[in-house]
Amino acid sequence: MSASRVQAITQRLFHQFRRDRRTLALLFGAPLIILGLLGYLLRGGGDVPKMGVVNLDGGPLGSIVASTLENSKTVSASSMSQADAESRLRSGDIAGYVLLPSDFSVQAQQHRIIAPEVHLEGSQPGLSQSILQSVSQSFVALAGQAGGVQFTPRITFLYGGPSFDTLDYFGAAFIGLVVFFLVFVITAVAFLRERGQGTLERLMASPLRRAEIVLGYMLGFTVLALVQSAEVLAFSLVVLHVHNVGNVALIFLLEALMAIAAVNLGIFLSMFARTEFQAVQFIPLVIVPQVLLAGIIFPVSTEPGPLQVLSHVLPLTYAVEGLRNIMIKGADLGWSSLQLDVGVVLGFCALVILAGATTLRRRVA
Amino acid sequence: MATETYAVDIDGVVKRFGSQSALDGVSLRIRRGEVYGLLGPNGAGKTTLIRSLVGLVAPEKGTVTVLGRHMPQLEVLAHVGYMTQQAALYPDLSAEENVHFFGAIYGRVDGVREALEFVDLWDRRKSVVSTLSGGMRTRCSLACALVHKPELLLLDEPTVGVDPQLRVQLWDRFRKMAAGGTSIVVSSHVMDEAERCDRLGLIRFGKLLAEETVAEIKAKAGVDRLEDAFLKLSEASPA
Repeated sequence: MSASRVQAITQRLFHQFRRDRRTLALLFGAPLIILGLLGYLLRGGGDVPKMGVVNLDGGPLGSIVASTLENSKTVSASSMSQADAESRLRSGDIAGYVLLPSDFSVQAQQHRIIAPEVHLEGSQPGLSQSILQSVSQSFVALAGQAGGVQFTPRITFLYGGPSFDTLDYFGAAFIGLVVFFLVFVITAVAFLRERGQGTLERLMASPLRRAEIVLGYMLGFTVLALVQSAEVLAFSLVVLHVHNVGNVALIFLLEALMAIAAVNLGIFLSMFARTEFQAVQFIPLVIVPQVLLAGIIFPVSTEPGPLQVLSHVLPLTYAVEGLRNIMIKGADLGWSSLQLDVGVVLGFCALVILAGATTLRRRVA
Repeated sequence: MATETYAVDIDGVVKRFGSQSALDGVSLRIRRGEVYGLLGPNGAGKTTLIRSLVGLVAPEKGTVTVLGRHMPQLEVLAHVGYMTQQAALYPDLSAEENVHFFGAIYGRVDGVREALEFVDLWDRRKSVVSTLSGGMRTRCSLACALVHKPELLLLDEPTVGVDPQLRVQLWDRFRKMAAGGTSIVVSSHVMDEAERCDRLGLIRFGKLLAEETVAEIKAKAGVDRLEDAFLKLSEASPA
């Protein structure tokens, strides 16, 4: 063991890092960006879930509950008619509503039973939880007045159901994410290898057109990606029993589109990296922020305002929403929300294909 | 295309990389069936010149004409073979798969066997490239460059790492190809290789210092060895 030899290696690493500014920037910049984003996401005063209050109660208690809810800080509740509440629930405008029946006061005062109806949208377990919590809290005030009452809400779900769990919610998004992420990394590295080993130079000196290179790559990796997509989908549905009420072919279509986008994003971004090492660095810069902001973990509707704007620019947001629309809500291509999702993902595909082909040309000339 | 007199016609080409001048007003013409040697030290601009012939370098000034077509032009590249300095191969494919791939790119998979035999790799065709020696990789790379029977063959230091015996053999074949009408541009700093060229271009600091036959160069410098002639001519011209 020679201290000077060990030191030589350590010192050489520092010399290399000094030359590789990008790695340094990543090493010291990326954690701040990611943690900052996460902090803002969680503490930035995002929107609370929206819910409706339908008060049909003829007695005095209904309005007490309604005003307690409307003043609640954990949800943003507003009074509305039942028809209005139902349609806004379906459009995804509110995450749920509580209905206080006409005999609400009578039941509470005479039979000591508090039995409101809670209608939940149900596709996002986090939001459903918040609403249930706020609703039960709003009855605490009432319990003091009526004394020793039995609280038996009747809960219905528009989508999902009582057995709908976190995996069901995340599963839909992760089916797309896993494919997108892996395909992106593999393509970027493969394309960089082509550059590094000099074969790209050789291809550029041949009558091959840039579009042919991009298309060839796309087809090759797309075939792999499709097999992977099918595998991931089958595993999720058959082994993990992830909740799915939608058309499996539609899920696969969206997955396939994401895979094609990932292939081309990989080709495009590999132009901005000199080494495979640098390509891997795109993961914290490109993938992590998308995972945080695409609504995979935190619903976009509860993000702080500025981040919501950012989320609505990210294509992954639409892909995730599309997958959830299909798997949780059973959407088909007739739904305008799914049309938007598929449209955005398609547009993104076209954009990165174009970007990949154009950058390839510029790099060479 | 075979009606053009010149395989290569470079006229006043200037190319800079940043402030570094890689080609500084180079003009030269290479006839069909000629073996033209680009001779010069490392960093003289040989590779840049060769890359400009396949449209990988766009000159800032001047024109590059290859097989009668102004570069960059995609169709003409089907008749050009380019062997890069580094053996540019797919290391996880076999020698044959590599040559076959490039053959397919040029639409000439029929030439695979001939190309592999030309470089004496037919017996090793099933070997994965990463298991081949350096010299074998160079030969495989050469096979990839001539699988489509190009009219113009560009060789950037083709015999680096090739043993003397095979080098002699390869040169015999280059000469045979040239006799069959193929024009060959070879960059090198190996002098005994330069002796085998029909004409030589001495290049230094991006400038063409002299362009003559081997005998003419020796006579001009008044020395017997090409190496001495090269050094003498390099010194004589202002850098």
